[in-house]
Amino acid sequence: MFDSALSALGSLAQPSLLLMLLIGVAAGLVMGLIPGLGGTGAVAILLPVTFGMEPEQAFALLIGALAVVHTSDTVSAVLLGAPGSASASVTMLDGYAMARKGQAKRALSLAFLSSMAGGIIGALGLTLAIPLARPLVLSFASPELFMLTVLGVSLAAVLSRGNVVKGVLCGLLGLLLGMVGTSPTTAEERFTGGSLFLGDGLSLVAVALGIFGLAEIATRVGQRRTSRDLVTLGGGWGAGIREWLTHWSQVIRGSLIGIWAGVLPGVGATAGTWLAYGQAVATAKDKRKFGKGDPRGIVGPESANNSVEAGDLIPTLLFGIPGGVPSAMLLGMLLTYGIQPGPSIVTEHLNLMYLIIWCFAIASVVGAFLCFLGTPTLAKLTKVPFAVLGPGLLVIMLLGAFQGEAQIGDLWVMILLGVIGWVLKATDSPRAPFLIGFVLAIPMERYYYLTDSLNDGLGWMARPWVIVFLAVLVGPAIWALVKWVRTRRDLAADDGHGAAAQLMHSDDEAETDGLLKNSPWSLSVAVGAVVVFGGALWASSGFSPEAALLPRLVSVVGLVVGLVLLGQELRHRRTWTRQGRAETLTVTTALRTFAIMVGFLALVMVVGYLAAVLVFVPAYLLFIARARAKTTVIYTLVLGAALLALPSLIPVDLPTGLLG
Amino acid sequence: MTVVAVHSATEPGRAALAHAGREALRTGDHLVVVDGDPRRRAAGVEEIVDELGETARRMEEAGLTVSLGHSPLTDASDAVVQIAQQHDARLIVLGLRHRSPVGKLILGSTAQRILLEATCPVLAVKA
Repeated sequence: MFDSALSALGSLAQPSLLLMLLIGVAAGLVMGLIPGLGGTGAVAILLPVTFGMEPEQAFALLIGALAVVHTSDTVSAVLLGAPGSASASVTMLDGYAMARKGQAKRALSLAFLSSMAGGIIGALGLTLAIPLARPLVLSFASPELFMLTVLGVSLAAVLSRGNVVKGVLCGLLGLLLGMVGTSPTTAEERFTGGSLFLGDGLSLVAVALGIFGLAEIATRVGQRRTSRDLVTLGGGWGAGIREWLTHWSQVIRGSLIGIWAGVLPGVGATAGTWLAYGQAVATAKDKRKFGKGDPRGIVGPESANNSVEAGDLIPTLLFGIPGGVPSAMLLGMLLTYGIQPGPSIVTEHLNLMYLIIWCFAIASVVGAFLCFLGTPTLAKLTKVPFAVLGPGLLVIMLLGAFQGEAQIGDLWVMILLGVIGWVLKATDSPRAPFLIGFVLAIPMERYYYLTDSLNDGLGWMARPWVIVFLAVLVGPAIWALVKWVRTRRDLAADDGHGAAAQLMHSDDEAETDGLLKNSPWSLSVAVGAVVVFGGALWASSGFSPEAALLPRLVSVVGLVVGLVLLGQELRHRRTWTRQGRAETLTVTTALRTFAIMVGFLALVMVVGYLAAVLVFVPAYLLFIARARAKTTVIYTLVLGAALLALPSLIPVDLPTGLLG
Repeated sequence: MTVVAVHSATEPGRAALAHAGREALRTGDHLVVVDGDPRRRAAGVEEIVDELGETARRMEEAGLTVSLGHSPLTDASDAVVQIAQQHDARLIVLGLRHRSPVGKLILGSTAQRILLEATCPVLAVKA
């Protein structure tokens, strides 16, 4: 074990790996500053860049970014009072209060150091998990692995924020979407409508960037300028560093909570940080200053949100169940390299695992160091309104999604999924189970097929670990039932520590969520789901028995869950709130943004990517974002030059149009 | 000095508020009302004064104020303890109701955590 760990460290001495790690850290820090991107955005945007790299280099890049996203997202929370990601909103409580008192540097140094320690402790947790889980993982055969995939999707669905029914429905929709393409067992095409393009299945990058990235852009472009002023960087770094040392026990507790929250699928950084904050408040004797600039309110949550990402990797790498959205994408990437997480990773690719751990730890330290150096400059970036960042992000995201198969169809899929992602977000349906379902669909089917053909009957259900997983599967269902009974009896007034309520937050979700909850929109989500599952059930009747097995199961369960949701929505119809002006405005902005995206893509198909960007970006900036002419010109020129230079720097293809 | 009342739109919550009002009047303290159920819309000062009725009128005559306590903390028990500490409260008044042992095991108890963690005397009112 030590040998592999040391040889993995040795391999990091290669300049190419170290360079990738540094690029990843820099990219992660920048993306952490941009509101709404977070770890999901960072991995999704960098993923296409890694196509064609060796797995080691690709992981150095991605882990470098993932490890530091939560280090820099603190900057805007502390200086602007507007969190860069949902998980930083906890830090905002005490951090912004401290900054307004002229102690911004104290708050930031506490946060950076805690983030660093959280990352290192998270990496340590990942290291310790390997020897502990190794014998377990090696004893797993296909029945256990199948159960684990089921468990991954359902835990993500149950533990995600909000309505459990919606969570399960989203997980099932993701599974169904993952089955589009060639069946892994019989090699026949499913749900493709005879289209060759869909035969390969949908690209992971297109799905992730659509559901999360584009949906985020559509939600946030309405925000023209940041209303608040930057707090000046006051106070000294030294005081914060010294103070941080006195709170070492908070750091360790916060990190452990973070790892735990990361291991559970669907419980992301946001829930982890709230749990850590709750813990810090609950164990403090003097609660007077919480929310008014208490250092303990910064240290615990900041340690937690970095260790969450490391904790996420434990089930992802060892069992093949992603704990969160970024790790779901990493899992998808592992699978494309032909590395099966779980048994094969602990036997054949142990080096890669240790490399990931080292990358995580080193990136945490380097990230914190760069934050100390770069904060005065980086802080300015947080002032850029999202409407101005939007078109640039859109151009980068679409280009990223194009890299996998170089098919323009992927981009249309992405925009369509962007609309779906936006509707899900606005109606408060969790999107993490959707993506986890999408990634796990094919492994689930493959393991099920193996289980079914290697075992006679249902004997495999009696294997000890299968029983354990079944119990874990049923446990949350009972918990949900208890919760339901409790709300029935209206006992919600006394909810103990409030941990359950706080668990109901998924990662990277902003306050605008649930704007269209209990409206015709959420009713149409239920109707749409029922129609989709009904259609899938009908379509799957044409498949051969092996290929139809799982799609049919998913559609039947989906149909039932969809009908339950439909019933709930109809019952809530009486309490529908009339759409206020704010809602109407948000909906029009979002729909207009998607229309603009469609227009841009149509333009790309005619004149090619570069020309389309040179037309679209200035038009968007001038007429939608109302940016100044000088900004527009510089922005467009820089973006155009970057796109022109990019293909000669890294292997990137630009979509070409009919006119060249 | 102040008295902190943990109020909610339930039987124990109303009992606690009524008792806290009488207590504040008796000892000449200001009354700070904290909502014990952060997930519902908190009652406004007018509603609280309405609910206190006669007590509120007499408090006003005596120059005593009724105000709402706000806390950024999401957990009700932490919020109550924090507000009491910030106001340097003399007393916290809260309502109790019957809970089965299993109910307590699963759900924990806001009241119990306030009782254990408060740094001032706590008066528990049975409803």
